[in-house]
Amino acid sequence: MRRLNVRKWRLLLPLAALAVASAAIAASSFGATSKVIRLAIMSDCKGAFAGGYELDLGGAQAALAQYAGGKPTNRAKPSDGMTGIKIGGHPVKIVGYGCGNDTVPLAISETKRLMEQLNADVMIGPLSGDEAVAIAHYAQKHPKKTFIIGTAGSQDPTLQIAPKNMFRYHGDGAQWNAGAGVIAYKRLHWRKAAIIMDDYSFGWTSAAGLISDFCGVGGKITKRVFPPLNTTDYAPYIRQLPGPNQVDGYFWVVGGTGTGPSLKAYEQAYGRVDPKKFVGNLFFFFQSGFADVAPRLIGAYYGGFGNAPGLKTRQARQYESTVKKWYGPAKFNVTDSFVYNYYNAAHALVIGLARSKGAVGAKLQAALPRKIRTGYQVSNHGVVKLDSNRQAITDQYPQQIVKGPDGKPAAKVVGFVPSVAQSFGGIFKKTSPPPGRKQPPCVKHKFPWQGHIRAVVNGKITNKIIG
Amino acid sequence: MKALAVDKSFVERAIGATALVLVALGPLIFRGYFAHTILTQTFWLGIAAASLIFLSAYGGMISLAQTALYGIAAFALGNLVGRGEVKGLHLGYSPWLSVVLAIAITTALGLVFGAVASRSTGIYFLMITLTYAVIVFYFVGQTPLLGGFSGVSGLQDYTPGIVGNPVAHPNRLYYIALVTAVGVYVAIRYVVRTPFGISLMGIRDDPVRMGSLGYNAALHRTLAFTFAAFIASLAGILFGWWNGVVAPDHVGLSATVDLLIVAVIGGLGRIEGAWLGAFTFVVINNYVRGFGFLNNHFFTSLGLDASHFATYIGVIFLLIVLVSPDGLIGLWDRLWSLARRQGGAARSAAAAAGATAPRG
Repeated sequence: MRRLNVRKWRLLLPLAALAVASAAIAASSFGATSKVIRLAIMSDCKGAFAGGYELDLGGAQAALAQYAGGKPTNRAKPSDGMTGIKIGGHPVKIVGYGCGNDTVPLAISETKRLMEQLNADVMIGPLSGDEAVAIAHYAQKHPKKTFIIGTAGSQDPTLQIAPKNMFRYHGDGAQWNAGAGVIAYKRLHWRKAAIIMDDYSFGWTSAAGLISDFCGVGGKITKRVFPPLNTTDYAPYIRQLPGPNQVDGYFWVVGGTGTGPSLKAYEQAYGRVDPKKFVGNLFFFFQSGFADVAPRLIGAYYGGFGNAPGLKTRQARQYESTVKKWYGPAKFNVTDSFVYNYYNAAHALVIGLARSKGAVGAKLQAALPRKIRTGYQVSNHGVVKLDSNRQAITDQYPQQIVKGPDGKPAAKVVGFVPSVAQSFGGIFKKTSPPPGRKQPPCVKHKFPWQGHIRAVVNGKITNKIIG
Repeated sequence: MKALAVDKSFVERAIGATALVLVALGPLIFRGYFAHTILTQTFWLGIAAASLIFLSAYGGMISLAQTALYGIAAFALGNLVGRGEVKGLHLGYSPWLSVVLAIAITTALGLVFGAVASRSTGIYFLMITLTYAVIVFYFVGQTPLLGGFSGVSGLQDYTPGIVGNPVAHPNRLYYIALVTAVGVYVAIRYVVRTPFGISLMGIRDDPVRMGSLGYNAALHRTLAFTFAAFIASLAGILFGWWNGVVAPDHVGLSATVDLLIVAVIGGLGRIEGAWLGAFTFVVINNYVRGFGFLNNHFFTSLGLDASHFATYIGVIFLLIVLVSPDGLIGLWDRLWSLARRQGGAARSAAAAAGATAPRG
């Protein structure tokens, strides 16, 4: 019996030692703190928008290189990191990159990893709509952390939820589409249209912009169809749309990897696409899985992304050359708003940290700029203002797919819509229902930009009014 | 031989007790993230996996519906308790009433799901439960009234007083999850020793013979599924409080497979495997990309740096399953058997050499 007890303790002692060692390792290695300003950048490295990952990181880091002395580890691959960032003498460390996949679960778990495990003080991101909604709720519960949305376009984060520690220096999905509905009505002479929209917060917000804009000048939406995000077979949803002889056109709000398959499904159901019968949102010129349909859409209009490729202004050229200077070898399209919006977010952060003298939390939130000069802003002397919900009021640029110099489809800016606010001329309020399948209703409304949308020709804003 | 069998049981109990003491002191020993994210997640994820392992180990049913069931509980809780969040029904019921109703709804749906699936076995049972998972995913996703694809938020805003604000006071949720996990473990151990549990195992092993003896196999399976749904609902409630938001992707196919992976890693044969698998899964998921050595020249030149963390996570899971098809618990069992065989061989050799040893 005595011998057995000795054997038991021989077994137990190593186990106890193992347990204590594990505890010590866990206690010492997890959640270490540091005096440097800890920055996280959140994007999508998986899912429908994974193509935006390096662009997002590159945009943010180009601003950190330009304004805060950051040195890219690899100019061809932003995700390799950046060192030497200092703002007002305070070192800034990028503690991690978030890897979302356009879904809420991963957005939350990645945000927790960045903000709690890696102890980030500030996060730039996320990339997409539902992610931003979830992170806005997270931000409400973590008021000491600061969040600057990367390029997500859902309305809720800065209108219905609007935590005080969340900022957005670009438009939402509705703002981006200002002017596109007017173009459908005035230039394409549509009066009745159907809309197909991704069934999630960005799809609804983006569609809300097109619907409001089109209905505001007198158009009618006769049918709304909403395929789930990441649908692979769009045929059942296309069949719900009225035929091309029943409407004047279609607003196409299917994004990411769904744009191409949905248009192909349309062609299988109703024949070749007619560019005069299609107006899209920013995804209409999103290239993924789209190359074979794109040539048939040359001439189609679409809402912008807050960017203005080819705009001939000094600020635009300055912005583009700055990004090329730091990440030229990455060879990404610097006019893409994945780059542009993250760039502006990081630029705002640099200004804020300089003003707060390196303080984070509430001091940084108070110091983050409410006005910032951005590349494609023209009105208000080139300065973007934030509204009381810390949401940008920015110029928008409806665009058109044209044949580029190489014969391939290219983007061309066709209109300039000055200073579009998130309230969209007063129809979106904190108390109003957020965009959804049936929101907003199709009603006539006078928007501030009606009668003030100016044509853009060869990259120059003219005095010619569209409509 | 008898002494060695006692030893294994003793060692397992000692390990269990040590682990319990460690996690009971968790918030004092570990830093916040490890305690409140890694361990709290381990507790609720382990409960969900335990519901799956209970069905598998004692009922012979591998269910892919457990994620959907805990998701139903979380969605129900969010819709019942919410008051004016952006998405959801905003019924504004009291937190305790919402918890009870969410558990009741989930358990009732478990009864219905179980009744339909109970006459199927093997791959057909698996497919039916997979169908449940898909139905729930699309139903909650395509019903904007219940939150739609954005999901329901604000679950941390309206919690019972005992839970409080899980962000400001995470220790409370930590201990509630821990106590619930222990309670679930004890409940399952108790149920499988009851006449119901024993007959369920009989049905698992030979349903025809049990039927000829007068046992209603379908009813037993249905009740087992309902009990598992109840357990899953507890995981769903804890998950809702812990995460604050529930979206369709939390119950999608990826999450469904994740839970199966948790159960397989832990071991489908024993309930303890649920928490072992959950802990392993959560730790790997959280820490693999932090392995600095993956960013050295060798891995970078091969294009296999830490940015490919998802691949590494997959390889690690694959290795675990290859090394031990019956999970980490099975690995432990086999290591113990090996040690016993070696110990036995050594004793035989000693006996052959004429050595005498005092017997305990």
